[in-house]
Amino acid sequence: MRGKRSLLSLILVFVMVMSLALTGCGKDDPAKDPDVSETDGKSGNEDNKDAQKDSDSGKDGQKDAKDEVKKPEKIKVMVDGTLVTQENGRAAFEKAWTELTGVEIEIIQPDHDAYYDVVGQTIASGDWPDVILLGSTYYAGYASEGVLWDMTEAWENSDMLASGAIPNPELIDGLKIDGRLYGITPARGNGCVTYIKKAWLDNVGLGVPTNYDEYLKVLDAFTTGDPDGNGVNGDTYAVSSAGLIGKEAPYTNYLPEFYQDAFPSFYMNEEGKWVDGFTEPAMVGALERLRDAYQKGYIDKESLTNGTSDCRNKFYEDKFGIFTYWAGTWGTNLKKNLEANGLDGELIAMEPIAEVGAYLERQAPVWCITSTCENPEAVFDIFFETMLDGGEGQRLWTYGVEGVHWSTVAEEVCGNTYTEGQFHMLENLEKEGTQYTKNHIDPMLSIRKFTAFEDPGAWQIAPEARNSQETFNANSKLVPLVLSTEEMSQYNGDLTTLKNEIVANVVTQGMDIEAEMQRFADEGGAEWSQMIVDSLNR
Amino acid sequence: MFRQKKDKVPVSTRSLGKRIYYYRGFYLMFLPVLIFALIFYYAPMLGIRLSFYDYKGIKDPVFTGLKNFEKMFSMKGFWAAFKNTLEISIIKLLINTGAAVVISLLLNELIFLRFKKIAQTIIYLPHFMSWVVTASVFTLILSPTQEGLVNAFLTTLGFVEKGNEIYFLGLRNLWRPAYYVINIWKETGWGTIIFMATLSGINPELYEAASIDGADRWQRMKFITIPALMNTIITVLILNLAKVMNLFESVFVLQNHAVVRQSDVLATYIYTQTFNSGALPNYGYTTAVGLVRSLVGCALVLICNHISKRIRGRGIV
Repeated sequence: MRGKRSLLSLILVFVMVMSLALTGCGKDDPAKDPDVSETDGKSGNEDNKDAQKDSDSGKDGQKDAKDEVKKPEKIKVMVDGTLVTQENGRAAFEKAWTELTGVEIEIIQPDHDAYYDVVGQTIASGDWPDVILLGSTYYAGYASEGVLWDMTEAWENSDMLASGAIPNPELIDGLKIDGRLYGITPARGNGCVTYIKKAWLDNVGLGVPTNYDEYLKVLDAFTTGDPDGNGVNGDTYAVSSAGLIGKEAPYTNYLPEFYQDAFPSFYMNEEGKWVDGFTEPAMVGALERLRDAYQKGYIDKESLTNGTSDCRNKFYEDKFGIFTYWAGTWGTNLKKNLEANGLDGELIAMEPIAEVGAYLERQAPVWCITSTCENPEAVFDIFFETMLDGGEGQRLWTYGVEGVHWSTVAEEVCGNTYTEGQFHMLENLEKEGTQYTKNHIDPMLSIRKFTAFEDPGAWQIAPEARNSQETFNANSKLVPLVLSTEEMSQYNGDLTTLKNEIVANVVTQGMDIEAEMQRFADEGGAEWSQMIVDSLNR
Repeated sequence: MFRQKKDKVPVSTRSLGKRIYYYRGFYLMFLPVLIFALIFYYAPMLGIRLSFYDYKGIKDPVFTGLKNFEKMFSMKGFWAAFKNTLEISIIKLLINTGAAVVISLLLNELIFLRFKKIAQTIIYLPHFMSWVVTASVFTLILSPTQEGLVNAFLTTLGFVEKGNEIYFLGLRNLWRPAYYVINIWKETGWGTIIFMATLSGINPELYEAASIDGADRWQRMKFITIPALMNTIITVLILNLAKVMNLFESVFVLQNHAVVRQSDVLATYIYTQTFNSGALPNYGYTTAVGLVRSLVGCALVLICNHISKRIRGRGIV
């Protein structure tokens, strides 16, 4: 009996060991296609380029291919919660899209907060959708790993580009990786603009600052004076932010006036070389400005531990007067919340001060076609050309479905009365008492204007929201899209932790900048940074 | 004689298969547990192999041998996190257990039963708050402004000047003390349950006898209560020592960039490497760190088991 037990144990151990040893690499993964294998020494990008060149040689070839393209019966799309959800009438959206295109659509829409977990699992499983929405890090990473279809030629030969309806095609060019395009965004990424309370400026007798010196004067007046008019000097401060450095690109967007031309991560300089902005002299200047302002009390002491909601609440409670926050709808939200607290809600969306030059616009999530899509040219035509057609398709992606998400019937919705023919959004199916504001595309950020008819929802946009958005759009530049390299995966986690620690140490603990920069070098930061830079320039 | 009889274990003469068939009802009841354990505990262990590969979740993993481990052992961040994990966990364990014992003894001295129950309920409540809520509450309480309860109090007492309030969660030398205090507030009450149960099991005749012999309150506590609690204290310490590598949530919600060197633990280090690298993460590396963390945890369990056998005469597993 004892022998049998031992034998059974041995067999079980053997099975476990063998399963551990042999279950490694046998799955039939689409990414294992010879076109993207590592053995030939080419990257996924290069192989995709070759494949693209083989299949599309010139515009005529593209046109012929277009003519020959067979419509797919169904498109499988993966998207986050920025599209109307199942509970909010997604079925109606799918039906309307199918009626518009003649193609069936299957939408995979995981929980918004867990979206990238599910994306990772889906890509790892090998069962890829035809079309997928990706954030910039995943876009660059998946493109370099050969997951995404190279749509450069499809874009360059597209009707929407040829028609000239896209006023800023450079926004799409900004998505190119090594000159190749793997995705398109229907809307700008948006960013933060600096709001300043007009009543506070009036109380201290200053105008809107246009350069850093003027800005400092405002900071000082807001911190040491009585900008809120409560009769007490020095009970306010000028600026608050959620963290001293952002967790993701553009990193500096909550404190642009202090960072100015410094960028604490990787970007391509004017000479076309990748560099790490953290190691440049501009970063030292930024740290000095931040430290000085923090020590003088201009910046909220709690900025290190603030969340964005903490900052908003303090702003509404009139504790500080300058808030760099999202442009567009937030302009209205900030105003309304100030007014709800019985305060003057007039805010000025500042143009960037001279030293800043331009606010940073984040990379918007990108719609991509996967490299396993059987008929990518047709999917491109059907999906993108309708999404940005300037007419019915765009209206569907912007406002949803008539009768479900919007209407023009005379009625009262959530206490608002509309006349016959007046476009308005309907009551949210999930949140009673609130109206929808949009579907997937924010009308203020769309890269294409409506051309078939006037933007039906334009009249609904509050003037302060429009003003802040226009200020931002006219004074912003796109944050660089950083490639994902092996070295980046290996070292950027530790590098980012070290950089963030140094910024916090210098600003909040008042530590010597030179000593901290020396520590950056001593603890391997400079070496990791250089390795990543080299990999990007390779 | 009796002991010899007890040690003699009867051996069944039936085959294993027959015995399984005989007890099939029990095996059937056990089956769901077995399936659950296999699927959710043992099958995921296959992922351990990724620590020997480079893997970004797209292409097939590429075998790299011990490269991930070499990198891990060469990274200062890893060693800082490793050291912090042990330091923070063990200090937290000792402080929390000590506080729980003290509170238990104090509660045990309470005469009015109603007040005792109310006090117990109040100190249990923080355990049921999520760490996210706890962090928010303490960020307000420890705010470096006059709105922060602690700073306002210190200002009133004259220890802190107005305008020079202390940033408890933002200063490197104060973050850990603040963290331990928050932990005491949240977990001590819950920790008293087991000690209160032990205290209620002490024979009251011992106290009566001690009183008759002239022992005062302090002497009764010193010579009866504390010795009676000692075995439980050691048990609690040993059981919790095995879990010291599991530290994550409480640190994650309270840490910030300024104190990362004092607060980063292995679990938060893995999180940073996975989600904050700005690139597709190398799951091979993070799995390697996770594996080391598990192995250290496993070693601690075995050591604790050994200590437990030595002290209590029986193991914990």
